[in-house]
Amino acid sequence: MKVAVGEVVLPGDQCEEISLVGEKSKVILGPGLRKEVDGITITKAGTLKKRSPNTYWVDNYQKRYIPSRGENVIGVVVQKAGDIFRVDVGGSCSASLSYLSFEGATKKNRPKVNIGDVVYAKMLVASKDMEPELVCVDSHGKKGRLGVLEEGFVFKCSLNLVRKILNPECPLLNSLKNEWPFELAAGLNGRIWIKAKTMRETIAVGNAILGCEYLNTDEIKSMCTNIASILAGHVS
Amino acid sequence: MTGLPKKVQLPKSVLDMKFMKKTKERIEKEIENTQDHDSLYANIITHEMRSASGNFISEPSFIFCEPMIEGRLSFKGMNPEIERLMELENAKNEKPSGEMDKDVSDEVLARKMEAFNKRKRPQDSPKYVTIGNKRKK
Repeated sequence: MKVAVGEVVLPGDQCEEISLVGEKSKVILGPGLRKEVDGITITKAGTLKKRSPNTYWVDNYQKRYIPSRGENVIGVVVQKAGDIFRVDVGGSCSASLSYLSFEGATKKNRPKVNIGDVVYAKMLVASKDMEPELVCVDSHGKKGRLGVLEEGFVFKCSLNLVRKILNPECPLLNSLKNEWPFELAAGLNGRIWIKAKTMRETIAVGNAILGCEYLNTDEIKSMCTNIASILAGHVS
Repeated sequence: MTGLPKKVQLPKSVLDMKFMKKTKERIEKEIENTQDHDSLYANIITHEMRSASGNFISEPSFIFCEPMIEGRLSFKGMNPEIERLMELENAKNEKPSGEMDKDVSDEVLARKMEAFNKRKRPQDSPKYVTIGNKRKK
């Protein structure tokens, strides 16, 4: 079936609009789209989206993470194997993380990472035929925001929700940031790590994030006000 | 050694020197490799295959499609290290827009220009261009 931008699409559908644009200028095909000999085919069920100039993708509901290069993810160290750590990121197989890819790590000076630790890392290699590889440093050798996440609480959610709360338009973090101190790391693999001063505050952040999955902008704002007032003790 | 005009090469006389033996061998091997490559697959790789992807670039990740902020955040002094990084990034993002701040807003400019045009245009002959208040006639 022929589809257009903004519609609900199913695998096998074709989009003529994209092929026409592709004849004139460069087009970026995001997840869910594939170039076939006879045009552009949809490979996922969701809504077809466009961002100018010429970026198209299918926004679908998904909980299974498929590693791709450049994404920041949250993983759990499951094994130490010689030079590398095996990290579970929720993909089809565990990812490898070299002990040298931490800030200031050398052969003699190993980073202090134990089995069961939660790490926030960047996908360096993600190919469909190979094990994904993670790093905890940027190209300058600085750790930046990556590294081991100490304490805190990790929960899983859909991949859409992570993208939703990280969208600059989403009011969730803006509404919460002035209420109480907390820290957050959102992995694009559908795992979110949060840390606050008390258990009540941690639960409140977690509930706020999970609660906004099916809410619109205004509903998110009122939910955040609601949670904040409950936490402050005005309402019981 | 011919056929690669762009690359800077050592002169032949230098390469013939005794101590350059290893380098000479390496360079010869490199040239052989690059030349072989094209001829080896010439009958398999067609022109069509080279231009098959056309203008389309496949991107398996959402991070290049959707706008997204950094996923590591801290608020109200929970983790000063992360907050410093966040501040640095915010400062970097705001700088360009700060420089381009408008002294006169678009609406004010439009209103003034309209009034200005109404006052000046009718008696202007198209030959003369008016700039500000200076009018030559």
